[in-house]
Amino acid sequence: MRMHRSIATLATLAFAAALSGGGAVQAEDKTLTIGLLGPLSGGAASYGVELMRGAELRVEEINKGGGLKVGADIYRIKLVSYDHKAQAADTATATNKLIFQDKVKYIIGNAVGATCNAAQTITEPNKVMFAFVCWGTNNLAPEKPYSFRSMLSQWELAEPFYRWVKENHPTIKRVAAISPNDTSGKDTNTAVVKALKALGFEVAADEYYERGTKDFYPVLTKILAQKPDMIDVAAAPPGEAGLILKQAMELGFKGAKGWTAGINPFTIISVAGPEAAEGVWSPANINVKGDHVSPAVRKFGETYEKRYGEVPGAIAVANYAAFDVFTQAMQKAGSIDTDRVLAVITKEQFQTVWGPLALGGKETYGIDRQFLYPLVISEVRQGKVVDIAQVLPAALKKK
Amino acid sequence: MPIELLIQALLNGFGLAVVYILVALGLTLIFSILEVINFAHGEFYMLGGFAAYYLSAVGGLNYVATLVLAMLLVGLAGVVAERLVFRHLRGKTLNAFIVSLGLLWVLQATAQLSFGVLDKSVPSAVSGIVRLGGVIVSRERMFVILTAVALIVGLYLFLKFTRIGQAMRAVAQDAEAAALQGVNIELTSALGFGLGCALAGAAGALLAPIFAVSPTMGALPVVKAFIIIIVGGMGSLPGAVLGGLLLGAVEGVGTLFMSSAAVNILGFLMVIAILLLRPRGLLGAA
Repeated sequence: MRMHRSIATLATLAFAAALSGGGAVQAEDKTLTIGLLGPLSGGAASYGVELMRGAELRVEEINKGGGLKVGADIYRIKLVSYDHKAQAADTATATNKLIFQDKVKYIIGNAVGATCNAAQTITEPNKVMFAFVCWGTNNLAPEKPYSFRSMLSQWELAEPFYRWVKENHPTIKRVAAISPNDTSGKDTNTAVVKALKALGFEVAADEYYERGTKDFYPVLTKILAQKPDMIDVAAAPPGEAGLILKQAMELGFKGAKGWTAGINPFTIISVAGPEAAEGVWSPANINVKGDHVSPAVRKFGETYEKRYGEVPGAIAVANYAAFDVFTQAMQKAGSIDTDRVLAVITKEQFQTVWGPLALGGKETYGIDRQFLYPLVISEVRQGKVVDIAQVLPAALKKK
Repeated sequence: MPIELLIQALLNGFGLAVVYILVALGLTLIFSILEVINFAHGEFYMLGGFAAYYLSAVGGLNYVATLVLAMLLVGLAGVVAERLVFRHLRGKTLNAFIVSLGLLWVLQATAQLSFGVLDKSVPSAVSGIVRLGGVIVSRERMFVILTAVALIVGLYLFLKFTRIGQAMRAVAQDAEAAALQGVNIELTSALGFGLGCALAGAAGALLAPIFAVSPTMGALPVVKAFIIIIVGGMGSLPGAVLGGLLLGAVEGVGTLFMSSAAVNILGFLMVIAILLLRPRGLLGAA
């Protein structure tokens, strides 16, 4: 199996390198190479694809606008991306390539917590600025000053989401959470369980599965034996979350469904089908067609859908916003030196598609490196995604 | 523990094992005839899944016709692979091993470029569930299990009673002796390889509506298939069936007592135990 996987990994990396032009170190003075990591294949591929598309759109806008003016220089931006298939070992290889082969000083985009930890062992010592949507709790920490999370994580989402569930659906008493068996999954279930207990719910199950699992009957048999009122496919990526809901329905589950990390319910509908996805609540989603988003997000959504034929979720918006913040910070710093840019990001104000950027998270992570914005709870209704409530993360309430 | 839970767990395990047995049978058939361990076998399973997607989800074809066409198309792809590549490697186990890894690479990367990397769903042929006391079985899985069992029985009858099936068994036993008796080795090998791949394609097409299809979907079934044939005995068709049922029972019941990560280890523990205690497998030839 190891041989199988390693060969497949090499193949993917080789193709990714060939497609992106990675491998050839850019020699022009006025080109700024920005790296992107992500699962571009496998069960979490939709995360990586959204990251890449969000980045591509912003890079194209900048380049078409004549480039990025930083001090006296004008930079054309070149995006180099690598597929790590949500595997930590592959991420370390890809991060090394980005930093030492492609010479990037900025990696804007990555998903899946364990892979962020792997990348940070290389980005932090090399002072590489790193923005991601990974949900690992320890992805943000005082000893990781160059790292930023551009999307709300489980720690900002779980408590307000379940407070909303308690207030609006008081018959729900027992909740089962299921996530992938890795950093993202463990941290998400931990945050969900903590919120559930704090709000007086019973935790019917706190289960994990291996990424890449297709057959969830065994683990669902165990969960359903605990008679939950609600199943939260907490940190499951869309492909796997869709299969869990579909197979839970096949096994007779008719209760409420949540997806704490549900960043694009459109994707879960396509895998689970409208019947199994009916009623899924997602607090992490950004509905670019909804009433709760800014005109800038709506415009981004229109451009994205026109270009790629799909509706973007929160990850695409988040990575677009991260590009915006980092490039604005370079301009304000008048330099692409990461220390000077870091100093600017933590002090200045920035406008993004979210609106004015709020950085927070010190109470949870010990450092303000978390992008903050209002969360919108959406529900799948007859194959469509409908926004039903907007609530503020506790950290944003205080600001 | 409630007896219903145990029965449900066993059914869960057997349900999927039957499909993996199809993959394993194809793998062991190819090994018997060509002495080639085809590591790219999972990619033929993947091709079956995508054939089902394009024929059924995109083309709107009914599911039975989809299944038959998917088997034919993947079988044809197998014949092409045998003619172009594996025919020249008969008996050269190490060379074939490396080439099959290369083929895995080529097929998977080509699928990523051609079909995209996102999971794609295939509409179910049947829907609804059947409740037997506290045990629940989805009609979709029942359909898959029954179809897979029918294919396994069909394969047995084909190999036992048809002329070409008997030729395949003859080549598997002794290719030179079979040739001396007038068996066309090249044709038999091509058909055997194609049949093995068609079985993998059938498994992929059968599971496509239950799981989504993706270019990397072949990795897990081929690992399961290798466990099955090592436990059952390399080259033994009854062994593959026995190995599959054992793996299904162990994994199905194991999930009740341990995490999914630990359950994944059980199959490999079975492999280690078999290789230490009975290296030829449960029903393999001495």
